[in-house]
Amino acid sequence: MAGKLGPPTTLYSATVKRTWASIDEFETFLNDGGIVEVDDDMPDEYRNAVFRFIELHANSEVMGGLTERDWIPRTPGLRHKMSVIAKTQDEFGHGHLLYMVAADMGIKTRTEMIEDLFGGRSRFHNVFHYRVKSWAQQVAVAFLVDAAALASQQAVFKNCSYGPYRRILKRIISEEGFHMRLGEDRMMRIAHGTDVQRELFQNAINDWWWPALQLFGPDSKPNDLLLRWHIKSERNEDLRHRWVQKFVPMLQSYGFTIPDPGLHFDEDAGQWMCGEIDWEPLEKTLANVGPDSGRRIAEAAHHWETSQWVRDALQTPATALA
Amino acid sequence: MTAVELAVHAAVASVDDPEYPGISIVDLGLLETLDVTVDGTEATVAIGLIPTFSGCPALHIIASEVESAVAGLDAVDAVSVSWLSAPVWSVDRVSHDARSILAQEFTVGIAIGPKPAPCPRCGSPTVEQSLFGPTRCRSVHRCTLCHETVEVMRS
Repeated sequence: MAGKLGPPTTLYSATVKRTWASIDEFETFLNDGGIVEVDDDMPDEYRNAVFRFIELHANSEVMGGLTERDWIPRTPGLRHKMSVIAKTQDEFGHGHLLYMVAADMGIKTRTEMIEDLFGGRSRFHNVFHYRVKSWAQQVAVAFLVDAAALASQQAVFKNCSYGPYRRILKRIISEEGFHMRLGEDRMMRIAHGTDVQRELFQNAINDWWWPALQLFGPDSKPNDLLLRWHIKSERNEDLRHRWVQKFVPMLQSYGFTIPDPGLHFDEDAGQWMCGEIDWEPLEKTLANVGPDSGRRIAEAAHHWETSQWVRDALQTPATALA
Repeated sequence: MTAVELAVHAAVASVDDPEYPGISIVDLGLLETLDVTVDGTEATVAIGLIPTFSGCPALHIIASEVESAVAGLDAVDAVSVSWLSAPVWSVDRVSHDARSILAQEFTVGIAIGPKPAPCPRCGSPTVEQSLFGPTRCRSVHRCTLCHETVEVMRS
């Protein structure tokens, strides 16, 4: 173990607050691998871009946690049920950590972010705008969507210039990596199951292939500020392409088919190429008018409202209750 | 320890926590008993592990990884892995090496004793924000000096 430790612990000194005279100077700092910390006097454009990105991530963790929660009573078998319960806690825990980091940027408070989300005024990832209709679909989500989310988070973590987010991502990624293994475990069980189970899973792939693929978003724009400021390190289309290379052969090896008539193997490139992507469903989810957006947001808002008494109780000093 | 016991111990120690790549389950204090019974030329191994929390979803994966790591040894003929209900795991069981890696690599602190848990990043006291973090064995804290949002491993 000692060999893995490297140099002795160096404690971070929190007293330095850095400023930059111009955006050019700031960009040079970022291009040299500089890491921005919460107390730094960062340019407003950067602050806003990082904030919006973390808020979207936090919102998606919460909406994902609510989906997971819906399946606790319906999950077959104790082993899977334990993993669904733990995953629910994980997603809410991630949401909590991310909201704290986002709130520290001084743009919105945690309550404002939650109220914007449950009021339908905020965005969250496209995949949580669809309804999960069966356990097989939940397995497909855990298998396909978690892998896509993990791939995008890894691409952010690799080179993320905002220190507090980068450090939280390190832990989130380790945990999401574990979720993926749970997803694979669930998928293997269903893939080796009865004909009916396999048919249910094939239908689930048919419903979830495109939403999962669109999680990466449309091709990155040439001057994407998130890439320019080292918030993300890879283009959307590259991440999407890599995900396709992994999941097409894997699903086919279990005898499942991919619902993309244009999908083909390019012999020259030695790679799988998708057919044309219809981005309209993604645009609808971004406007909160996806197939299940209304119900999801209304349910979340209902939970928020009916749990007010818990938050009130937590803020009441013990002495007031005596 | 005999040569076989040492080899088995090393095999168990090669298994990392699924959520903390680079930290062995032995360093997290999960290994409680290790028994090797030799009958003629046959060596049978029984491993007893304790979970950080009994509802941990990683139990199945950890046990199967320990089983295959030990079963892979030439000197071992049979292996069984079980989760024990006692003693109860506590953060005191986490080794000093693991504490350093948790702090440096994962920004995760450890709460030991009545004092506020120190920030894994700058060493200043932290204030608990929520007893429940992303897992049952971690709570969410904030550092009073560097303001970092950190997680703290707890019993």
